[in-house]
Amino acid sequence: MQSRVAGLGQRFGVLAVGGIVGLLVVLPVLRLGYVVWTEGAASLDEVIAQGGLGRAVLNTVLLAGSVTVVAVPLGTLAALGLRRADVPARRWWRFAMLLPVLVPQFVLGYSWTQAYGRAGFTDVALGLPWPSVLGPWGVWAVLVVNTVPLAYLFAAIGLATRAEPNLERAARASGARPVSVLLDVTLPLLRPSIAAASVLTFALTMESFAIPQVMGTPAGFTTVTTTIYRDLSLGSDPRSFVEALALSLLLVALTLLVVVPADLWLGPRLRVTRVADPEGALTLNPRGQGGRWVAAGLGTYLFLGVVVPLVALLAASVTPAVGVSPSPRNWTLDNFRFVVNSRSIDALGRSMTLALMAATLLTVLGGCVAVLERRRAGRAMSSLVTITLVLPGSTLAVAMLITYGRWLGGTLTLILLAYLAKLWAFAHRPISGALDRFPPEQLQAARASGAGPLTAVRTVALRPLAPALLGAWLICFVTALHEVTMSSLLYGPGSDTLAVVALNTQELGRIGPTAALSLLLTLVMLAPAVPAWLAIRWLRTPRRLHPRRVRGAIHVG
Amino acid sequence: MRGPRASRTRAALFTSLMTLTLLPLGCGSDSGSDAESLTLYTCVSDETIQPVITKFEADHPGTEIKLFRAPTGDLNARVAGDERSGGLRADVIWACDPLTMQGYADRDLVGGWTPSAGANIPDHYRTDDYVGAAVLYMVAVHHEDAPAPRSWSDLTGPDYDSVAVPDPNVAASALGALGYFAQEPDYGIGFYSTLKEQGAKQVSTPDDVTAGVAQGLYQAGITIANSAYLAKDAGSPIGVVWPEPGAIAIYGPIAIAKESSDSTVARDFVSYVVSEPGQQVLAKAGSYPTLPGVKGPEIPQGAPVVYPNWSQVTANKDALLDEYQQIFGG
Repeated sequence: MQSRVAGLGQRFGVLAVGGIVGLLVVLPVLRLGYVVWTEGAASLDEVIAQGGLGRAVLNTVLLAGSVTVVAVPLGTLAALGLRRADVPARRWWRFAMLLPVLVPQFVLGYSWTQAYGRAGFTDVALGLPWPSVLGPWGVWAVLVVNTVPLAYLFAAIGLATRAEPNLERAARASGARPVSVLLDVTLPLLRPSIAAASVLTFALTMESFAIPQVMGTPAGFTTVTTTIYRDLSLGSDPRSFVEALALSLLLVALTLLVVVPADLWLGPRLRVTRVADPEGALTLNPRGQGGRWVAAGLGTYLFLGVVVPLVALLAASVTPAVGVSPSPRNWTLDNFRFVVNSRSIDALGRSMTLALMAATLLTVLGGCVAVLERRRAGRAMSSLVTITLVLPGSTLAVAMLITYGRWLGGTLTLILLAYLAKLWAFAHRPISGALDRFPPEQLQAARASGAGPLTAVRTVALRPLAPALLGAWLICFVTALHEVTMSSLLYGPGSDTLAVVALNTQELGRIGPTAALSLLLTLVMLAPAVPAWLAIRWLRTPRRLHPRRVRGAIHVG
Repeated sequence: MRGPRASRTRAALFTSLMTLTLLPLGCGSDSGSDAESLTLYTCVSDETIQPVITKFEADHPGTEIKLFRAPTGDLNARVAGDERSGGLRADVIWACDPLTMQGYADRDLVGGWTPSAGANIPDHYRTDDYVGAAVLYMVAVHHEDAPAPRSWSDLTGPDYDSVAVPDPNVAASALGALGYFAQEPDYGIGFYSTLKEQGAKQVSTPDDVTAGVAQGLYQAGITIANSAYLAKDAGSPIGVVWPEPGAIAIYGPIAIAKESSDSTVARDFVSYVVSEPGQQVLAKAGSYPTLPGVKGPEIPQGAPVVYPNWSQVTANKDALLDEYQQIFGG
């Protein structure tokens, strides 16, 4: 009887989440496929044979692969390095590692050209330009800088939720060298988190547009997304429009070739079924100068990757015109006055509301998929939600528009649905990487002792999963807050977001106001990120529950 | 072993999740009566479109204009999405180039009516389906340290080893320039081959050309006049030239949607934009008007202007872009 009820519950869960996946992911993608099939089937061979597409596909795959193999190890190393107690200002570095992800992609790409390009900041100040910043190497470098924090976050969440400090201590006590402990104990435990970070980094690089467009196009470096943008730019011709949709589906197919095998084959093998009490990450107290080297490495990465470009952006924002020296006598706040107005403040409010709703719903939805992918019936869901992550924002927006525009066109609701579809995998992957520490037996014990469902979940399940849930929430919130591609295509009267206002300003073609708005946008990101990060830190700190609170938790409700 | 309570817990959580997810569906922002409103789709800059809307609404109390403004690529995608989900939701479209608008007209989305006030707009800025509301002029821009070109052909001379060219695959104004040079016997597509041989670089948009020349990355470039004068007036070290045989005029047409051809407010708005008062507002906001006699932003005395043959550009677009890509790639 019990197993029948449990089976029914599982089936209901799979059906409910499957229904949402169907509405947010499958239906829009099928609509795209239908449009391509009915309107472009005859010319598909021409689309595939078009000049330059083969090179764009090769560039895209090579870029995604090379960014993943560098960014994921770097992010993991940073997380492992920051376990050392001898890293000076360790707490600060943990927060600072997230700075590059708080800077919107188009801002980061643009600021790098201002910092390192010819006639850029380092050229003017030091006579040290990096001409290759415009081209494949520049695109690769900025994408690595942009995705390292993601890999770091996944590894840090993995360490917080999956660490087995006692195993590591036992290995050390038995005479294992630190490298052996790392290779034989720590990294195997981190594998699901590393795999999740790799899949997400690969998918994000495949769909990245702003950085290749800003830094690659001037040097003739094209990717599938920049080709799609080109098709849409001159797409009042229906054939160009269908070409753009067909190329988007090609991008999805290319990514799924990597993601589906990873999910179906690798995923279940990497999961650790051992359940243990959450003990938090082990803090190492090694001897030597290692901590300083870790701090020096992180400092160099952040200085070159974020600080110099942001200083260049600051210089551009206080300079009245391009080509004018950014010396103090030329400084002006006009650019900031130009961009701060009632429209941008209203738009900020809407962006905040949308990002809050999206991040909260996505954390719930991501958790659901992470639970259900462990059941046979729900195994394909994790791959399915990755489809809409890979679809370029403009194409996903078109997909949502042709599926739901009839009823929701121009509303905030349609933008919210697009965010949910786009970022679902963002929320799912970090939670999935942490979920095998979820202690179902303890949950059942709490319920058997009389705790209500919510109390049992809150007191038993949430604590070990909290770093992953908060991490997922934070990354969704930040990404939704500076999302521009979909919002700029889906907004209507009274539903323009801050990024849309930013885009409109950028469209004016004036670097000063664009730089000013980019800086303000980055500061807006910091405002909610700081308390969220403090909350993660608080939750990550292992602490014992007071016996009276435990009793209360079990008996309340 | 899981008990029925655990299953009920899961069921309760999923029910809550569904409720949470579907709740926002009821909170659309697009509400209210459409009796005296019109929806305008445009790619015209915010700086130009906002004053025009404000003045029109002030002159027509009770009228509301719902605006969707986006770059041409997004505008195209939005229109294409509308077409496939119940039809175009705009009553009026104000595009930034005739090529885009002709695409809409060919698909029977716009056209069939132009305002009587449009008769005052020169012939080369209108068709039976749409009428030019504003103009972009493609001009030459040069860094202060480089000589000013007198004609377009000077850019292929020995004085310039780094010229910036906007990408005609991205910017319709650049495609207009490509169309003009390709049609002109003295230039032809060979103009671009020579530029490339001399070390010219392709950038994305005309604004990128202006910024690159101002930064000193390029000695000169082809850009739009508004962008060049904006940078020059703000202090950038550049010069702006209307070279011989002329600055290339790219007009931004406005048209009424076929489905809204009977809408009085839509007709009133299109008529207003091409009328003298509307053109004055637009000119004051920094755009070049199409109506002769209305003073707009700076045009040097006696500056020559040339006009691409848009029907030829439209007919030969694919061949033109193919030829261009053979030269600059991308």
